[in-house]
Amino acid sequence: MNGSLINVGVAQVKTGTQPAVLRTILGSCVGICIYDRMKKIGGLAHILLPNDTANGANPEKFADTAVPYLVQYLLKEGAKKEFLSAKIAGGASMFKFEANVSLGQIGDRNVEEVKKALQKFQIPILEEDTGGNTGRVIDFFLEDGRLKVKAAGQEKIYYKV
Amino acid sequence: MHAHIKQRIESTINNIAALPTMPEVATKILNMVNDPEVSFKAVAEELSKDQSMTTNILKLCNSAYFSKGKEITSIERAIVTLGIKEVTNIVMVIAAKPILDKYVIGYDLGKGELWKQGLIVGTLAKKIALQKNRKDIADVVFTGGIIHNIGKTVIAIFVQNTYNDILDEVKKNNITFNEAEKEIMGYSHQEISEKILEKWNFPPVLKAIVRFYAEPDKAPDNFKTEVSIVHIANTISIMAGIGIGSDGLYHQLCKIALDTTKITGPELEELFSKIPELTKQIMEIQ
Repeated sequence: MNGSLINVGVAQVKTGTQPAVLRTILGSCVGICIYDRMKKIGGLAHILLPNDTANGANPEKFADTAVPYLVQYLLKEGAKKEFLSAKIAGGASMFKFEANVSLGQIGDRNVEEVKKALQKFQIPILEEDTGGNTGRVIDFFLEDGRLKVKAAGQEKIYYKV
Repeated sequence: MHAHIKQRIESTINNIAALPTMPEVATKILNMVNDPEVSFKAVAEELSKDQSMTTNILKLCNSAYFSKGKEITSIERAIVTLGIKEVTNIVMVIAAKPILDKYVIGYDLGKGELWKQGLIVGTLAKKIALQKNRKDIADVVFTGGIIHNIGKTVIAIFVQNTYNDILDEVKKNNITFNEAEKEIMGYSHQEISEKILEKWNFPPVLKAIVRFYAEPDKAPDNFKTEVSIVHIANTISIMAGIGIGSDGLYHQLCKIALDTTKITGPELEELFSKIPELTKQIMEIQ
């Protein structure tokens, strides 16, 4: 990995240029990978919850604030909106959960809100590996924008950019 | 079930030397503080016998996580300033770290993931206890939370060999990963944890926590609250992806734990939302 592995923690947004690799581990959280295929820069937002309840104090934590935060950062670094595309992963839910506990649906709610936020910027979602009951370790390779998802002992690679 | 795997696990747990060891001083202190008559002098004396433990205690006492502001330079000061129970928590953090802070094969946990999860679950469990006005059990659920997954370090190698069968069992019979561990290997990691704590002579409440944290409905009544709190803390942690491995979210949140602790949906969500801040808090003692 050329020693350029960058770990992204819960409620963090990290960005980089090739050949960096952004890695995060997801449960019900969602990882949003945005990439500029021409400039070969990208970023990963690891969001915990769908909607901002902190009045902007913690933009990296919520889907509706982390997406604009990441997009604006990439644009400032010289990315062009027409070359941006997204891949998303995560949003799993507990295998067995009390039906009337809202936290049980947090994975689905996260995915839904991430899609809404990306749509606002008209950034297409090219690949989606979401839902289910598996944890996911994801590696986002900034050399070509591919995304590797490891879940339940299996690896999948998504190449579209 | 794989009979030969079960046999190999049995010979492992019957071989005391194959199980992780706990520093003697940690077990002593843990049992001493359970005695209401214990004097702080006796505790200080016991701790001072172990030089490296003393050094580590002083370091952690002055970390942002445990510090009360004043610099602490002796074990006696530590006990007076933080209290015997908090010092015991510190001892447990020091003693558990070398056992948990490693790569765990089978569950596919990177180095440090299991340790980080222990600290998060312990910290969350303590927070829940305090929030529910159960200061009396805040320290024991902290310790229980830290070590709740300890059996994984021993059984992991067998999970590595049977992972696909365990996962098939989960899907085929609609049971949790832990239940499937037992079906396939003859033992769940919680049973192994209990064996380890037996070897260490740990108090019954901690044995109950590690044995039943995944199924609080089966916990003995006298420890149901402690077990339920760690159950909830663990659920929140894996949902946030902390300590989540190849077993994923193939687990459950038990209604009985919510009823026992009287924790509400909004309170659960609030605790979940605090995970990033807790992750920062534990960084210094990680």
